[in-house]
Amino acid sequence: MRTLYFWIIGTLLIAPFVVVLGVSVGASSNIAFPPESLSIIWYRELLTEPEWLAAIGRSLLIAVVAGLIATVLALAINYVLWRTKTGFAKATFALGLGPFLLPPIILALGASLFWAQVGWYGRMEATIISHGVFFVTLPLVIIARGFAALTDEVVEAAQMMGATPAQVFRTVVFPLVAPYVFTGFALVAIISVNEYLIANMISGFVVETLPIKIFNNVRYGYSPVVAAASIFFVALTVTILLILSRITDLVALFGTSKDT
Amino acid sequence: MGAARMMRMPSYGSRLISGLAFGVMAVFFVVPLIFMIVVSFYQPDPMGFYKVDFVWENYAKFFSSFYYTVSLRSLYSSALGAVLVVAFAFPLVLFVSDLSRSHQQFWIISLLSLMCLSEVIIGFAWLILMSQSAGIPGFLEWIGLWDNPRSLSPSFGAMMIGLVFLGFSIVALILYPSVSRRDRSIEEAAVTLGTPPRLVFFKILLPTFRASLVPVTLTMFVYMLGVFVMPTMLGRPKDWTMTVIISDKALGDANLPLGAALAVVMLIVTVLVLIASAVLTRRRTP
Repeated sequence: MRTLYFWIIGTLLIAPFVVVLGVSVGASSNIAFPPESLSIIWYRELLTEPEWLAAIGRSLLIAVVAGLIATVLALAINYVLWRTKTGFAKATFALGLGPFLLPPIILALGASLFWAQVGWYGRMEATIISHGVFFVTLPLVIIARGFAALTDEVVEAAQMMGATPAQVFRTVVFPLVAPYVFTGFALVAIISVNEYLIANMISGFVVETLPIKIFNNVRYGYSPVVAAASIFFVALTVTILLILSRITDLVALFGTSKDT
Repeated sequence: MGAARMMRMPSYGSRLISGLAFGVMAVFFVVPLIFMIVVSFYQPDPMGFYKVDFVWENYAKFFSSFYYTVSLRSLYSSALGAVLVVAFAFPLVLFVSDLSRSHQQFWIISLLSLMCLSEVIIGFAWLILMSQSAGIPGFLEWIGLWDNPRSLSPSFGAMMIGLVFLGFSIVALILYPSVSRRDRSIEEAAVTLGTPPRLVFFKILLPTFRASLVPVTLTMFVYMLGVFVMPTMLGRPKDWTMTVIISDKALGDANLPLGAALAVVMLIVTVLVLIASAVLTRRRTP
């Protein structure tokens, strides 16, 4: 009964990607599964066609900078909350949880109106800043776990040796929370690379990211290149998460072990 | 403890960092929302973006039959989707939490990958899976179950499958911590006394986790209200949800004030659901 349920869910979760993989390695330009003959032409097209390459490059650039913004913001909010415990710091933390709770369309429309008013409508910087601010929640929560694991003793020891707050941060606090910071950064980057709606509403008609390009292609008749692009994405996402699981204990991060 | 306490006195530096972080969040998160509320009272301008004004016209349009129907339909599909997702994901999380650590890790990474994956890609994958030439219909024809296959999308069912798939990994990952850390002694006692597994599930596990299942269902409901890609890719125009209409008004018709008004209505619904969720959680936890 249990095993059956595992297999059914597992199959349903994986089936769409198996079919997309099949389509992406098929030689015919019609969408067909199972493929009649194998070929890598669609991957070659994806990685040589300037338009696809530009979309990949744009997406990666947005993801990395937005990831940096979100993590620095999350680290700052957590650090101040940990050091001062003031109501203001708590309020800032709560504000950081906000974007995750609202449907993205609301954030997207608000941001799109805001950037139009500011005059940055259609600029990549606008997409980057909005991604960075809207995706702050995940690193915020993850880095908070890092700060929760910090014990007072190490900090006290450093202070007794005469370290200034900046030195304490640099030599004690940051090294200890670094794995959490890195995990937060990677997750924001992955989510940003995959995000469609916000990017599209802020500057989609100029800054065509990979998801936007895939979506437009699907809407107006598509070729198997889209399947190749999707598999490229899946591979990228899974690879980063696998690397991450080597660096931090993802299972513990999601709260399995009874002692954390 | 003494030294650490002393350190918690707000210094000039930490005040500066705190103020900066708050400022960034306020300017790029709160101000756009407030501005959206302001725009919802402006007049639409067919030539440009909008005319500064104060009218209730955009909200009056919402209560005309079309948007009213769309909203009810969005509420219906989101509610149905939310209940289905939790119903499918909860048993899986229970089963996964009993696996060995390395198997748990495998499931967590898989679910995390699915959670991070673009709506666009998941939608595209299901589009192919339901297409006549490459998907389930073709497969059914091949094994001889369906003589005359046709594409299964766009349809309401296809859209719902897409929504459930999208929410599945999120619900599983939200439920996972509390489920994996649960006190297993009551279930074990029940099993030892010979209670059939089905009864253990309905009489012990469901009531125990009601406090986490209710908020997660409400979270999913809000989440599904905001999904854009699944309805456009897998649903028929008559299945389109409010999110699609808002985006359509704002980008397609360039009627930003109306789009903003519809988004404000959605914001109000969201906030009400979140408050309800908070109240329910607080009451249930002692």
